[in-house]
Amino acid sequence: MSTYKLYYFNVRGRGEVARLIFAAADQKYEDIRYEREEWVSHKSEMPLGQMPVLEYNGVKLPQSAAINRFLANQFHLAGKDNFDQAKVDAVVDTINDMISKYRPIRMEQDEAKQKELTKTFLADELPKHLQNLEGLGKLYGSGGSFFVGNNLTWADLYFYDIAQHILELDENIFNSYPWLKENRQQVEKQPKIAEYLKNRPKTSH
Amino acid sequence: MPSYKLSYFNLRGFAEVSRLIFAAAGEKYEDVRYERDQWPAHKDEMPLGQMPVLEVDGVKLPQSAAIARFLAKQFHLAGKDNFEQAQVDAVVDTIYDLLKAFIPSRREQDEAKKEELTKKFFGEELPKHLQNLETLGKLYGNGGHFFVGNQLTWADLLFQNFAETFVGMNADCLNNFPWLQKNRAEVEKQPRIAEYLKNRPKTEI
Repeated sequence: MSTYKLYYFNVRGRGEVARLIFAAADQKYEDIRYEREEWVSHKSEMPLGQMPVLEYNGVKLPQSAAINRFLANQFHLAGKDNFDQAKVDAVVDTINDMISKYRPIRMEQDEAKQKELTKTFLADELPKHLQNLEGLGKLYGSGGSFFVGNNLTWADLYFYDIAQHILELDENIFNSYPWLKENRQQVEKQPKIAEYLKNRPKTSH
Repeated sequence: MPSYKLSYFNLRGFAEVSRLIFAAAGEKYEDVRYERDQWPAHKDEMPLGQMPVLEVDGVKLPQSAAIARFLAKQFHLAGKDNFEQAQVDAVVDTIYDLLKAFIPSRREQDEAKKEELTKKFFGEELPKHLQNLETLGKLYGNGGHFFVGNQLTWADLLFQNFAETFVGMNADCLNNFPWLQKNRAEVEKQPRIAEYLKNRPKTEI
């Protein structure tokens, strides 16, 4: 029996996709959440001094994307063969491209500046990334609502999670992107996901 | 036998790791290189209007890391099981973190500012990430010279490519990292890699 321990902060952030994968797979794991003050004393235990970290049968693995892909592969949520898995990876990387433009804006301390940057992001950056994602869903989705091959994969879970941050900027954003809207609805209808979303800790981000 | 076509600029850049994978595996592919002025005519052919793109039996796959991981898995250069593949992915992600730290200095137009950013990268950022890479190599490398499990994987090939770029810009930047120097030397000694490195087009990046 393999053992899984996930170490992260008590937020969704870069740890939530792993938690969604465990939930979708109905897989038990230890969901370790460090508050900021606790983290200081554990930092040197982690290979790169960062979290999330997955401990699998006692061996530590850093880097959220590597963790997520590993778990997806373990629980058959990664794509049915090498090429489908590559399509899933391409969707994930495209989601990353989108969110990497948003993260600096979240870090901006000056409120006025942050408002300005957010406005520019919504007008100039976000549309092209969402169009790219719809494009990939239509190219690889075999006519269905999931990103790749008519099955739930971690690409759908990742988009679901990231989209929550985007919705906080504009709650109507997906009205202009019907394919993405339907994709999210299909994800949250999955019984194990619905259950998890209902019961998980509510955190600020 | 699938047919492979790789499209990119006439650079090493984000496509070179895939070319190295084909070379290490002794596998044939069409190596399409567009000069800057040829590219606009082909942009609309690509799923995200970007390159590199891999075409496999006529189906296009964007995103350089997704492409490289797919090819590595096809040719058994990705790690021998799920968890080793995850360790390879963690090393790869750490190399991409390093690249993200490098890119702002490349993009900066102002000469004085560019020099400042470059100096900061080589002085502070690069050593920190190289230290992380040595940590992972020692954690996952089973005492050998390759990053994971005592065999060549695409993590080693990715590191070789960007190490070459960095050493080209700053000859001493690996001096304090003997494990990484040895890793790079081992990769460049592999007969098919040595042959490829000798004969490939010479480009600055």
